[in-house]
Amino acid sequence: MESRLNSRADFEAFRARARERWNDLWEGDRMVASVGLDSSATPKGADKVLSACKAVAYDTGMIVREVSGNGATWMEPWVEVKRPGQPPIVYGPIDPDEVPALLAGRLESRAIGVRGDTAFGTIPPLSEIPFFKPQQRIVLQNAGIIDPGSIEDAIGRGAYDAYFKVLFEMSQEEAIAEVTTANVRGRGGAGFPAGIKWESGRKAKVTPKFVVCNSHEGEPNVYKDRRILESDPHRVLEGILIACISVGAERGYNYIGGEHPVAIARFRKAVADAERLGLIGRNVLGSGKDVFFRVRTGGGAYICGEGSALMYSIMGVRGMPRTKPPRSVEEGIWRRPTVANNTETMANIPSIILNGGAWYASIGTEKSKGTKLMTVQGPMQTPGLVEVPMGTTLRTLMEECWGGMKPGFTFKGIQTGGVSAGPLKEEHFDLPVDFDSLTEYGGMLGSGGFVVFDSTICAVDFARYLTAFNRVESCSKCVPCHRGNPALVEIVDRIRLGRGSMEDLALIERTSKHVIELSLCGLGQVAPMPLLGMMKQFPEEFRAHILDGVCPAGACPIDRRPARAAAAD
Amino acid sequence: MGEAAPPAGMTGIVQSDIDLDVVRSILQRFQPRDHQEAQELILGALQEVNEHFGYVSLEAAEVVAEHLGTTATRVYALLTFYADFRTEPRGKHFMLLCHGMSCFVGGSQRLVQELKDRWGIEDGETTADGELTVQVVNGCLGVCDRAPYCVLDGHSVGELTVESLNETLQRVIAAGGSWKDGHHG
Ligand SMILES: Cc1cc2nc3c(=O)[nH]c(=O)nc-3n(C[C@H](O)[C@H](O)[C@H](O)COP(=O)(O)O)c2cc1C
Ligand code: SF4
Ligand code: FES
Repeated sequence: MESRLNSRADFEAFRARARERWNDLWEGDRMVASVGLDSSATPKGADKVLSACKAVAYDTGMIVREVSGNGATWMEPWVEVKRPGQPPIVYGPIDPDEVPALLAGRLESRAIGVRGDTAFGTIPPLSEIPFFKPQQRIVLQNAGIIDPGSIEDAIGRGAYDAYFKVLFEMSQEEAIAEVTTANVRGRGGAGFPAGIKWESGRKAKVTPKFVVCNSHEGEPNVYKDRRILESDPHRVLEGILIACISVGAERGYNYIGGEHPVAIARFRKAVADAERLGLIGRNVLGSGKDVFFRVRTGGGAYICGEGSALMYSIMGVRGMPRTKPPRSVEEGIWRRPTVANNTETMANIPSIILNGGAWYASIGTEKSKGTKLMTVQGPMQTPGLVEVPMGTTLRTLMEECWGGMKPGFTFKGIQTGGVSAGPLKEEHFDLPVDFDSLTEYGGMLGSGGFVVFDSTICAVDFARYLTAFNRVESCSKCVPCHRGNPALVEIVDRIRLGRGSMEDLALIERTSKHVIELSLCGLGQVAPMPLLGMMKQFPEEFRAHILDGVCPAGACPIDRRPARAAAAD
Repeated sequence: MGEAAPPAGMTGIVQSDIDLDVVRSILQRFQPRDHQEAQELILGALQEVNEHFGYVSLEAAEVVAEHLGTTATRVYALLTFYADFRTEPRGKHFMLLCHGMSCFVGGSQRLVQELKDRWGIEDGETTADGELTVQVVNGCLGVCDRAPYCVLDGHSVGELTVESLNETLQRVIAAGGSWKDGHHG
């Protein structure tokens, strides 16, 4: 174990050793097998694949590494094999009992790609296969490559270089200026520019100040933030620490959803290792600056992802939002100025500081800069987490990254914005995916979780599910949301059961208007959007339930004679 | 706190089997330096207790409250707000059934319905014979390409159908054991 680093020189020496160690690993003459383990791969047996690799290593002296997933859930469990004189090659999916054959070079048919820029024989570089080709990885640049439990790996690959720069080579204003120039907008859903928030935080007079990272991720449609924490926890931690120094906060927090135990464990380890090395604590690397850190975990209440609710949860009370102003940046945790950003926002910060805001702003579109992590759910061929430049079309994502629909499934729609917006259809496939382009059509980028649904899913039934989610997750603080969402569910249920009337559609519109306009927080203010969106994109389906008493998808429990038939009697 | 009446809603709780000395030893890891930090630790401490025993009893809540300098009422307000907490013991087997969107699109609605129709339980409930408790998770459990997905006694089960759900549950119940065996807490 390394001891505490007390100065710039200590850090530089440590970094030099870490880089050398990293390079030696790949240039040495020992075989290296790396297995991707995370909350997606381990349930598929990646842990057993790892054990099988270790069993082989016991006899052969091969190096076995535990890394994280790489986002390509379809290839799990995967193993990367680096043989002396060859580039690292990724194979998958691999069963535990196939490991000996794989490592003996008898499973070449399972090769997916080379980690690197050039092909090896007939094996293409990963960057050329459809899942990876449209991607540009900034936040995920270490995913599936480093051991997330190793601060040496992380530092060997550039972690804390940006933090070092902010500690010693930049003023607070200069650091924030890079974030402002980058124009990185919040990745938690609302898209507010981070630089502006940081500047308000820096200018706030009250002390102490805090920074909090929002890793709650309680939405039912996305799994990106946990994967950032699982694959590269130091990147997020570094982003938060940079925010602390830049705004003059004495303490950083990360609030992680309790449903993400792997992310919690890996992030906690990262914090403990950074504390041990002296990257957190008093007088960091002799800079004269103090930064402290706390990890807090959520308890399964979706609403705690909302900024003010999250802070109440940290303070040990029920996570119920409050009215604004004051904004959190004026009055947050313990009524002190608090800068809050999403995990992905934080994870972009180190690269912005290192490469400059202008570099970052050169990626993406006019109003949406940088890359975006996107996840997909539903019956796709090659599903998973990708990182693409803002403005990539829906078609590229659907047809290239995610490989189109699985055989036997017919595309019907793609639910965007989770429980906060509506669906899009095939006619929208050429839209660029960014903060603003989908909104006009009733969709939303949100946190970047897209849900593809097929012809067996009924629009009315899906709308009911989405509305019911908001009903259950409403914190019940304000009446429009607390009473309005159950009312909406009741009306949709009528339609689902074939007992609705055309008047019910108007009633939905009226009730939704109340909920949207009168609710206190972001949950209620958008809760009716999925239902309204489904009505907009699939009006004929709602009518079929009401007028014909049939559910065209065959999903709803219709239990009455159709109105049209009854009227004809 | 012995003589004080329990806060509203806390009466009628079954006799707890929670060893309060174990709760106290868990709490040793929660040592606040000031009152603010003590409040920040309440949720985390309750989570540990909930993880270990499967629920938090009235007596355990009181011990946590006392250790962190707060009231049982406040602790109970948290236990009844955050979905992960339970205030009654789990059945022998414990299932986290994902009802996120991948699972919904894959048919988890039918599983929720089957649990209600055939096993007589809804979210948070335990079968009458005490064999099975289900917690329906509204978020995503993160193994979407194996939807519909659940974690049963700590083990992953994916690509569920109504038939495979019933079979799996029958098999696990027939095999005996309990959620504690698969617990890596
Ligand atoms: C009901 C609700 C749930 C939310 N959940 C999350 C969440 O899980 N993670 C997140 O980062 N932001 C979430 N947000 C958005 C936050 O309120 C906030 O805008 C965001 O964390 C700020 O970070 P950013 O500017 O970097 O996006 C949620 C908002 C609402 C209204
Ligand atoms: S809108 Fe809903 S979630 Fe938000 S404060 Fe009101 S009741 Fe709570
Ligand atoms: S939605 Fe169920 S695992 Fe993701």
